This record gives sequence, structure tokens and C-alpha cells, in this order.
Amino acid sequence: MSSVWPRRAFVKSAAVGGVALLVPFHLRARLNHDTNGADAGTFAPNAWLEISANDQVRIWCGKSEMGQGVRTSLPMIVAEELCCDWRNVQVVQADLQPRYGEQLTGGSLSVRTSYASLRKAGAAAREMLLSAAAAEWGVDQKECYAALSEVLHANSQRRARYGSLVARAAKLTASPDPPLKSPSQFTLIGHPTPRTDTKLKVSGQAKFGLDVRVPGMLIACVERCPVFGGSVRSSNAEEVKKIPGVRAVLEQNSVHLTHHFGEESGPGSRNYTCASVAVLADSTWAAMQARKKLKVEWDEGPSAQESTASLRDQFQKLLAAPGTVMRNDGDFDKAFASSAKKIEAIYEVPFLAHATMEPMNCTAHVHDGKCEIWAPTQIPGAAANSVAQALGIPRGNIQLHVTFLGGGFGRRLIQDYAVEAALLSRDARAPVQVVWSREDDVRHDFYRPASYHVLRAGLDASGQLVAWFHRGASPSIGVFYNGTGISPQGAAEMNGPDFPAFGIPNMRTEFVLAQSGMPLGYWRSVENSGNQFVISSFFDEVAFAAQRDPVELRLAVLGPARKISLGGDGTIDVGRGRQVIEVVAEKAGWGTPLPKGTGRGIAAHFGYGSYVAQVAEVACDASRGTLRVQRVICAIDCGQAINPSGVQAQMEGAINFGLAAALKSAITVQNGRVQQSNFHDYEVLRMKDSPPVIEVHVISSSEPPGGCGEPGVPPIAPAVANAVFAATGRRIRRLPIRSADLMQA
Amino acid sequence: MATTFILNGKSQTVDVSPDMPLLWVLRDTLDKTGTKFGCGAGLCGACTVHINGEAARSCQTAISAVAGKKVTTIEGLSANGLHPVQQAWIAEDVPQCGYCQSGQIMSAVALLAKKPNPTDADIDDFMSGNICRCGTYQRIRKAIHRAAGTPAGQAKSA
Repeated sequence: MSSVWPRRAFVKSAAVGGVALLVPFHLRARLNHDTNGADAGTFAPNAWLEISANDQVRIWCGKSEMGQGVRTSLPMIVAEELCCDWRNVQVVQADLQPRYGEQLTGGSLSVRTSYASLRKAGAAAREMLLSAAAAEWGVDQKECYAALSEVLHANSQRRARYGSLVARAAKLTASPDPPLKSPSQFTLIGHPTPRTDTKLKVSGQAKFGLDVRVPGMLIACVERCPVFGGSVRSSNAEEVKKIPGVRAVLEQNSVHLTHHFGEESGPGSRNYTCASVAVLADSTWAAMQARKKLKVEWDEGPSAQESTASLRDQFQKLLAAPGTVMRNDGDFDKAFASSAKKIEAIYEVPFLAHATMEPMNCTAHVHDGKCEIWAPTQIPGAAANSVAQALGIPRGNIQLHVTFLGGGFGRRLIQDYAVEAALLSRDARAPVQVVWSREDDVRHDFYRPASYHVLRAGLDASGQLVAWFHRGASPSIGVFYNGTGISPQGAAEMNGPDFPAFGIPNMRTEFVLAQSGMPLGYWRSVENSGNQFVISSFFDEVAFAAQRDPVELRLAVLGPARKISLGGDGTIDVGRGRQVIEVVAEKAGWGTPLPKGTGRGIAAHFGYGSYVAQVAEVACDASRGTLRVQRVICAIDCGQAINPSGVQAQMEGAINFGLAAALKSAITVQNGRVQQSNFHDYEVLRMKDSPPVIEVHVISSSEPPGGCGEPGVPPIAPAVANAVFAATGRRIRRLPIRSADLMQA
Repeated sequence: MATTFILNGKSQTVDVSPDMPLLWVLRDTLDKTGTKFGCGAGLCGACTVHINGEAARSCQTAISAVAGKKVTTIEGLSANGLHPVQQAWIAEDVPQCGYCQSGQIMSAVALLAKKPNPTDADIDDFMSGNICRCGTYQRIRKAIHRAAGTPAGQAKSA
């Protein structure tokens, strides 16, 4: 056999057994791509790929690219099994189409839920190409293999480009159950791969929602009621209409959100009332200027009484009484009462806004009973559902194009901007692009709920942690959207299986629902963003009280390597959890001395199918009340990493995103209004506050892929807070960390 | 009112209100959408362009203020998108969502014009006006060092 043949890419199809797949694989006619512009004479065996006669491979990405790298990782999965030359792959963003299945992009789910079906799509096409070549050569298909967009026959040293086989392959029938590669045969998956969209993004060519241009498009800038749930009493709309350049001034009183977490099912929907007056003009600047002339009298409604202080009062009152029990192991009350040492603390975290760099926006064109939408959205299906309902037209009359998203972080799971654009386009009888200002974005977000927590722990005489109690109070995202009551199964902001569950004999966690008029939403890692700060910080308090090393105690509580079933698909693999903690501790030099005023802290989060541990090293100047995060070490076991370079980037990004919440950001409310407005008072992380070093260790694994977008966020705040304690002896129990918290004796 | 300036090496005349920010002239009037709107208040740096070679926030610059001046946007940084700083960005695989990166790159080019061999402290100081919510700061630092040919991590800021 010739040595120039790409042995590394060797795939001997007969050697690979069929694999049972969890995700249904729907065979598609090869004409499926007609609306996506697939050329005649190409080979398009399913929704995901197309090969042209000149060897160009196009792969469709069915998820939204918001920075997390799906336009690289998902096509890599197809290309791996297709055995095509990655250099000749062009990635195409899928519009909203049933053939792409669930297009929701959230929950750190994209790779997890696409892995099996995308492998199968690539493998089925590869098998058809192998079959086509074998037939052409009159040889046994089992003697052929595929590599770098060629089929090769070892015995005769014949080879054929994929492009030369497309006509013959297109006549074949796809196997519903093609053989898959074994991970040891992977040449792309698991190998650090540059992103496919970088050149577009360094040259200003990437098209985000705000870059959409539709002929005749008007720009809408919208003044919304500053109090959530209010309505318009009166406005000077007629006067503003007369301003040159203004084409319409339109009042809207209610935006209905169909909040399907999926195509047809999900938690439900709600009438989200955000009264507004929109100014539509020929240019963004004209619309923004005219909006400043608006004078609106609002009926502010009942939420005008709400403030951060009133919510805090409510939290404190609520936490005096028991809540819904989320977990109850052993007998906490008895064990705590007889504990040799008792630790108690109160923690709190604020509302947070997402503050994506690209402010909310959407472009819509309603005409002839149809609606075309260009949206930077994480759920194109929910955008279409919401718009269809708002316009009273069939869902099938909506065509939706997904643009690049200038950040998502969960904000773009909620489709208010799409409904706004569609209603304004209908009323203005023109294509409309809704452009939110940064102030709109900060003041009309769907916020990460504020929460307040009481924790108690008991140590026995030998320093063993024997009792743990956690009662948290918060408004609930689940209740906001579907209005159902709190239950251990859902709509609570706490999770029963959270650490240190399964490691403590007597443990009770409770959730108390608080009332708030604030719109709530999913903020990268959702409830874990606050809860893990509380849990991992209090655990550090317990370790200190027990005079035990936090890493040692955490491993002791986790217990021996084993798999804990959570019911359904959920499993905690304690061995994998232990490993990330052990790796991060070793890489961080845990236990080695540090200069005065500096300290290390550790935290971990197991979730989204992945295991993450982080050690933060901080330097504090207690006299000035300043701190600098000098170094963060992170270990992640996300199972089979598709693109380790992308996993690393997600960890770096998650750490910086979490650091913003740890060090900078808070949304506060007064008279029902969000008090912050832009980056001067809603601060996020800037480069000078970002660690000089973030070191990420991706554990090599062939377990099924886990999520990577979110699990890196929860550990960083507690890791930093625990490092502050190690450096200064000052315990951080609220976020963001304030100078005063560092200076208090 | 007509304003004439040099945009990416070519003379450009626009007939817009003199107080219209350069950002909106670029994006809406001239369809140069590589320059981004992020905050409208000079706080995030997404709209950074060069005016006579200096980094400037185009959302805070009235079009009248650039009359007769040279404006460079991300589209004009290089003919083929391969300015050394863009190449460094590609080599370090910097962007995530990418929305802020035009502004980051324009700031980095301006920094390197002033300080061809920047330290980490220089980079942090100059680049802290540009927000990246995806958190690509570590890769931006590396890319600037790469473009400058300086080793990363020198003279760490305190």
C-alpha cells in the first residue's frame, strides 16, 4: 500500500459496528436544499450536507452562532464521519426549517443533542460515496475506505474524488443506520481546530442582526414604560410624527411571548406587557433623535412600588418560614441540634442583566399575510411562534433567517424584540428594524433573579460535616413564564441534587418563592450562577470552621468514585468530579505558600453533562479595598471534546463572564425602575480586571460530549471569594464584591 | 449639509445633519457595517475607528468634526483583511461572538502605532476602553503581543 495514502484518516467501514442512536434520524429527499440554493448536480443526501462536483462541501449549522463556536464544532462532527477535507468545507447557517430539528440554542445543549444525529448524517453520506465508488470499480465496498474527500481502494490503489462520485451517489438510498467511526479513528474531533468564522469577524464582514439591510426598511426606536407591567396613558405622538424624517409613531401596549423551549412543547407562554411608544424613521440617528422628543405619560401599575430594599425585606420575612422541600436526607434538625460546632451564614446575589455587546434588535417585514424575519435569536422556533400568535397568521407563513448573534448568554432565548419588530412592520406597512439602545437593553432585560439564602451546617466532635441546611428565596423564572406553582420537579430556583448532596447524612434544602414584578430570564448558567457561589462559599466556611483543607474536605464529602443516578438521563460520575478537582489543585500548586495579601480559593460545578473545577489566585490590598485576580486555573471534563480549542475558549469566556458578576455587576430597582442604564453604572469586566493568566486543562475523555457554554461560569465567583478569604480573612457573602467588603475588619 | 472626508483612502461626501455621529453615517448612510454600535456613549469601544491615525469612538464623533480628515474603518484596515493585527487575531483564534472585535482590532492597531512593543500593562491600559462580553481578553493580549513580536506576559501589571 502506498505510503502517501492518508493512513491516519483510514476508515474501514466494515470494522465499525452499528451504534444505537438516541436521536431519531430522518431521511430526507435530496431535493431538500432547494430553498437553500443547493445546485443541481450536487449530492445532498440529508439536511446537513451537500457535495458538489468540484469537491466543495457545504455543511449546514442548525444552531445559532453566538460566540460559543457551533459553526465550527457542529460541522466538525459531520465532517469527521463524512471523511471530507475540512479545508474545503463551507459552513452555512440554517434558516428556521423543520428539517433541522430542534434549533434551540441554549442549555449548553448544542453539541450534546446534535452529536449522534450529525455523526449519522456524515456517516450515511460517506457510505453512499463508498458504495458509489465500489460499484464503479466493481469491487467489494468493504475493501474501500474514505479519507480527505476521496474514496480509496487499497488493493488496486484506485482513488476517486468525492466530486467525481456525486452523480452516482445521488442515485443511492441512504442507510438509516450507517456504521460510525470509533473515537480512535477520529482525525478532526478532539483536535484543536480554528473557528470557521474568524476571518469574517476580524474583517468586519460578519453580518449580525443590526447589519441586516432590507430595501425600504424603517428604523424603530422604542420608548418603553420604565416600570414593568405599566401601560401608556397618553403621549405626544402626533407632535413627534411631524418631525422631519419620522415616518410613524406607534403605541404598543402588550407583547405576547410564546416561550416554547422547543418547537412545539415547553414550559409555556405568557402575556408580557411592555407598553411602549415607537418612533419609526428613515435612519437610526433620526429615530433616536426624534425619540428624545417623545413625552409619554405612563400608568405605571402595581410594580411601581418595588425596590431592591423592599425585595430584600420580603426575602428576610420569607426566610423565617419553611419553604418547599427540594431535598431531605436524614434528619437535619436533629443532627444540627446535636452538632459540636454550628456554622450559619446569610448570602445574597443581585439581579443581573445580560448586556450582550450587540443590543437587542430584529428586522421584520410583514406583507400579504406573511412575515419574513431576520433575527439574532437563540430560539428561531419560539420567535416564529410568538410572531405568528401576535400577528394572527399561521406559523407556516413565517420565514425566519438567523443572523450571527452579537452575544446571547440566554438573553436571546426570549423573543420580545421579534414580536416588536413584526407588530411595528405590520402597523407601519414597511420592513422595520427595531434597534434597542444600550439603555433599553439594560433597563428592559429579562434578569437573572436576585436571591437570598440562609445556610446552616453542623460538625461533629471529630470535625465531620454531618448536617447541611440551605433555604433560598427568590422570584422564579419558571413561575414568570408558565405560572405554575413551585415543586421539587420544576419552577424552583434551587436543585435538590446540588453539592454537597449524596455526601452528607443529614441535609435539607428548601426553596421559598418571592414575588417580584421584574421580568426574569435565563442568564448563562441560570440558577447555578448564584447558587454555586452560595454553596461553594459556605462550604469553604465549613472547611475553615472544621480546620480542614477545602480541597481535602470537598473530596471527602464527594466520597469514592461512583455513579449516582438522578433519574431520567441524569447521572453524577463522582470519579470524574474528583478528577477535575484533583487536577486543578495540582496545576494550581494548591497548598504551596503564597506572598502575604494573596490567596487561593477553589470551587467546582458539575452540570450540563460536564465537570468543572477552578482555582482562583487573588491579591488583595485591604487598606485600599482593592483586589486583583492574578491567575485562574480551570479543569474541565466535558467528555469527548469536539474542538478542544473551542472548549478552552468557552472556559476563558465563562470565567471572564462570571468574574463580571463577582466583581462588577448588579441591577438594582427603585420605584419599579431599573436604576442602571449603560456600562458606566452597569459595569462589566474590562481587560484591566481580567486575570493575566487563565489556564485551562481539558481532560481527555471518550465519554459522551458534555456542555461547555455554561458550566465554566458557576465556580469562578466562589473561587474568587474563597481566595479573598484566604488572602485577607474577610468572608464575602454578597456579590458583587465591594471595596467595603474587603476593608471591613 | 455636505461633509467631505477621506474614508479608507477615498474621498467621500455625505449630505447629512452635521451633528450626526460618524458611526451612523458609516452604518446607515454608507453601509459600512463593520463598525459596531454598542453603547452610544463612548463606554464600550465597539465603534472604534481611526481619525487621522488615532483611535476614536465614532458614536461620539459628529460628522462635522471629521471634515477633511482621514477616517479608517475595519473595512479599510487592509486590502485583503490580512493586516498583521488581523493575522494575529486569526492565529490566536480570538473572536467568539465577534461583535466587539472590529473595535478591538482598531484599538490594537492604534496602540501598536504608539507603542510598537507594549507591555501587558500598556495593553491593559489602552484596551480597557473596549469591552468584550464573551471574555476574549487573554487572547487579545496574546494577539497584540504576537503582532508586536513581543513575548506575552512581560512586565505584568500589578
